[in-house]
Amino acid sequence: MKPDRLTTLLGGLAALGLVVGLAAAFGYAPREAVQGNVQRIMYVHVPAVLTAYLAILMVLVGSVGYLVTRRAGWDHVAGAAGELGVLFTAITIASGSIWGRPTWGTWWTWDARLTSTAVLLLVYAGYVLLRGVLADEPDRRARFSAVVGILGAVNVPIVHFSVKWWRALHQPSTILGPEPSPIAPPIAMALLVNWIAFTLLFAYLLTRRVEIARLEDAV
Amino acid sequence: MPDNWAYVMAAYAVAALAVGAYWRHLAARARALRERPAQTRRRRTA
Amino acid sequence: MTTYARRAWIVLWKDLRIERRSRESVNALLFFALLLLFLFQFALGPDRARLEAALPGLLWLGCVLAGLVGLGRTFLVERDNDCLEGLVLAPGDKSAIFVGKLAVNVALMAAVELVLLAGAGVLYGLDLTGAAGPLALVLALGTLGLAAMGTLYGALTVQLRARELLFPVLLLPAQVPVLLATVALTQAALAGEPLAAAGPWLTLLAAADCVYLVVGMLTFEFILEA
Repeated sequence: MKPDRLTTLLGGLAALGLVVGLAAAFGYAPREAVQGNVQRIMYVHVPAVLTAYLAILMVLVGSVGYLVTRRAGWDHVAGAAGELGVLFTAITIASGSIWGRPTWGTWWTWDARLTSTAVLLLVYAGYVLLRGVLADEPDRRARFSAVVGILGAVNVPIVHFSVKWWRALHQPSTILGPEPSPIAPPIAMALLVNWIAFTLLFAYLLTRRVEIARLEDAV
Repeated sequence: MPDNWAYVMAAYAVAALAVGAYWRHLAARARALRERPAQTRRRRTA
Repeated sequence: MTTYARRAWIVLWKDLRIERRSRESVNALLFFALLLLFLFQFALGPDRARLEAALPGLLWLGCVLAGLVGLGRTFLVERDNDCLEGLVLAPGDKSAIFVGKLAVNVALMAAVELVLLAGAGVLYGLDLTGAAGPLALVLALGTLGLAAMGTLYGALTVQLRARELLFPVLLLPAQVPVLLATVALTQAALAGEPLAAAGPWLTLLAAADCVYLVVGMLTFEFILEA
């Protein structure tokens, strides 16, 4: 399938998925007992963080792929995924913060997920910054950002555990928090639908961004 | 707990705006590529 | 000694000799560490209890800040003396250079930590000798982790015009987990608890060090490539 048609197809699927996701989030999913309707933010927050992790994985794959094969295509994927990683971690943090304000009373809490996501935002913003500085040197850009991409990815689980344990030291987990505790099937279903929609959106944006990178480097 | 629809709207709006802005940025870059073909943009190395 | 180990040792020995002859940079760095202790005191006020409570964090904050200034130096010296190309063109396994430079950075950080600890003891009137053993272990593991990241990003960013901006921006987020672990462990050590009580942190720190070392050795050749 030609790149343009694939892109359009993905775009259409993504748009469809997002519409269905919205319907699921507001129509199908019930009003949560403890938090009320503000809990519906979860249908943005959780898919966003899952998509961010997917992006980080793609950065790793692209980085390793480039260092092994030295084919620019891998670097294009890594770079595109890096930008999307920044986008979706930012959305995760923003939605998490907005969710936390009415439920926890403050705009920022050093909640484990928000904090680790914030650290990841810093890591991958640095990654994008590095690529920006080397915009005119595709070879060095690819090589250096591949190393940074790999270092960032291997640090993800380490960051995750360190922040989780750090938070456990300082604040006991609250019952009233952005994660309602057992997950009722309609909520899980709405979550799944939105996650699929976000993944389609990610695939669409990735394809477009990779195509742009390919064309820019071919100039 | 009250419903806090304003916060829900705000969260969805932020997400939509962020994605929309990035999408428009991509579209602008694609357009720039189409309208200025085959112009080498290699400059001195850093 | 294997060729690999000898090459790493040569890198380490060369840098130590250069430092010994022109002592300026190390002295400046140690002086910087001392200055940090003053800054912490001024920022936190005269209350001794507050300083003592914050001591684990301040110690490692001091390390991280000194690291920003010091960890890139070993490559800056190469660059400023037009020796980077020599490193880049060196034949054989580049990861030996990584090991050598890492050793240099660890030695540098150890000196900084000595100053911070002794300084904290004197300036803040604290007695740290009771926890010497556990503290030494935490310092060793933590320094290795911080220095590994610093060596990698230092080698990378020294080749960029935007080095001054990119080195801290890339390094600091990467050092967060080591920072969290070492502060928690130092807190336990200073409180007199056995380190086994904070066992998971120790495991995490050791695991992180292993990961950084292995990944560093695997990727260093791509950082210093012709």
